[in-house]
Amino acid sequence: MDQQHNFLLVDDSTLDLFINEKMLKVNQMAASIRKFLDPRDCLQFIQTENTYETFIILLDLQMPLMNGFGFVEAFQEFEPSMQKRYHIFMLSSTVDSGDIQKAKSMEGIIDILSKPLDPKMLKKLLVEAKLA
Amino acid sequence: MNINLPINVLYVDDEEHNLYSFKANFRKDYNIYTTIDTAEALEMVDTKNISIVMADQRMPIMTGVEFLEIIRIKYPEKIRILITGHTDIGAAIDAINRGEVFRFIDKPWDADYVKNAIATGFEIFRTREDLKKKNLDLQKANEELDHFIYSASHDLRAPLMSILGIVNLSEVENEVEVLKQYFSLIQQSVLRLDSFVINIIDYYRNTRNKSEIKESIDFKKMTAEVLATMRYLPNFDKIIFNSYIIQEEVFHSDPIKIRIILNNLLSNAIKFQDPAKEDFIINIQIEVLNMGCTINIEDNGIGIATSQLKNIFKMFYRGGIMNSGSGVGLYIVEEAVHKLLGEIKVESVEKEGTKFIISIPGKN
Repeated sequence: MDQQHNFLLVDDSTLDLFINEKMLKVNQMAASIRKFLDPRDCLQFIQTENTYETFIILLDLQMPLMNGFGFVEAFQEFEPSMQKRYHIFMLSSTVDSGDIQKAKSMEGIIDILSKPLDPKMLKKLLVEAKLA
Repeated sequence: MNINLPINVLYVDDEEHNLYSFKANFRKDYNIYTTIDTAEALEMVDTKNISIVMADQRMPIMTGVEFLEIIRIKYPEKIRILITGHTDIGAAIDAINRGEVFRFIDKPWDADYVKNAIATGFEIFRTREDLKKKNLDLQKANEELDHFIYSASHDLRAPLMSILGIVNLSEVENEVEVLKQYFSLIQQSVLRLDSFVINIIDYYRNTRNKSEIKESIDFKKMTAEVLATMRYLPNFDKIIFNSYIIQEEVFHSDPIKIRIILNNLLSNAIKFQDPAKEDFIINIQIEVLNMGCTINIEDNGIGIATSQLKNIFKMFYRGGIMNSGSGVGLYIVEEAVHKLLGEIKVESVEKEGTKFIISIPGKN
């Protein structure tokens, strides 16, 4: 069996959170899953999280109030030692080349995956990032 | 030519009697500004909204060509006309090459010729100004379009990708009950996409369609029709609708715009119900009086934070995390209300509810 990870799912769509959670479970990729409709709640979680676990964040791009890029910018304000425990993948339905380019080049984002979540692709990227 | 627009003409000449006779000849046709001083002339161009600048060639401090060259550099849009008493080929060449003058007028001038020059010059000036304005409008429309495509592509694609995600899940699912649940999720996603498509069509009907249709509006009938299209929305059956529609006279208006208003406000009222409340209530109050009408749509839903109230009519603004729509609905509503020369107001308290108050004047 593949290595299992702790996942934080950030998406303003309850439906997509449900789909992504289910997909990770069906493919037995997750040790734990936490879901956040509001990216600011996820930031709050990271701030107060005090275990030494590592997490994979699947982050939606287009969200009201704070979008995915805004989340990453806020995330980078955290202590570097803290940041190390979180690995951010963007997960979006965008086809905008500007967004994709920005996601690929932005520090703090490992890569961008297109919706719907493809578990094989995620596994491949996790291997490439030496996380699995 | 637009006769309402005053034509402001500036004439610079060091010989004052020329200025007097010019003014006497043309003051009935144009707003004439005159001066013997080129420095003052420059100031006038700046402050008097001059469209046509005329200058005599032979002046002591600077020649007419030199003056018009300055005008060309500083105010390229102004129409420049040179007046000269001596046919001087050098000045003519300079006038064209350096001053890029529009006309060359011989002294003593012929009144009809001067009028013709001013009229034609002004026509060019106005056309250029129109073009500049149209260019700006076009630029704005293009920016809006970019913004629109960007947001619309997300709102069109996101529900489709959700559906695809559920289909992928159902491939590895055997439980009938779970599959049924998946179908209902697909249904939700389809409804969301459909409401976005309807919004976009409304937007185009509303903003791009210039034709004005007027029909007699039956509010009771229209409200019932609009609500009938929403019966598949979640929680619809649990909502208590209180309708007070008082219409004893004919109301003439654009049915498409009125429908857009009712459609968006009612679907918002349904969508943003507060799950914490025991009863979901929507009050619909419509009154037609003195040819005009007032429409009040009130709900006891989740409400809107005071800090967000100023943004709700902006295009693509999405209020919150819960059930976020496309961000187009209220934008279209405001646009429709304004096109009907009406007013829209909103009162809202978070967790208590929201009330939209619209008044549309009767048209003659």
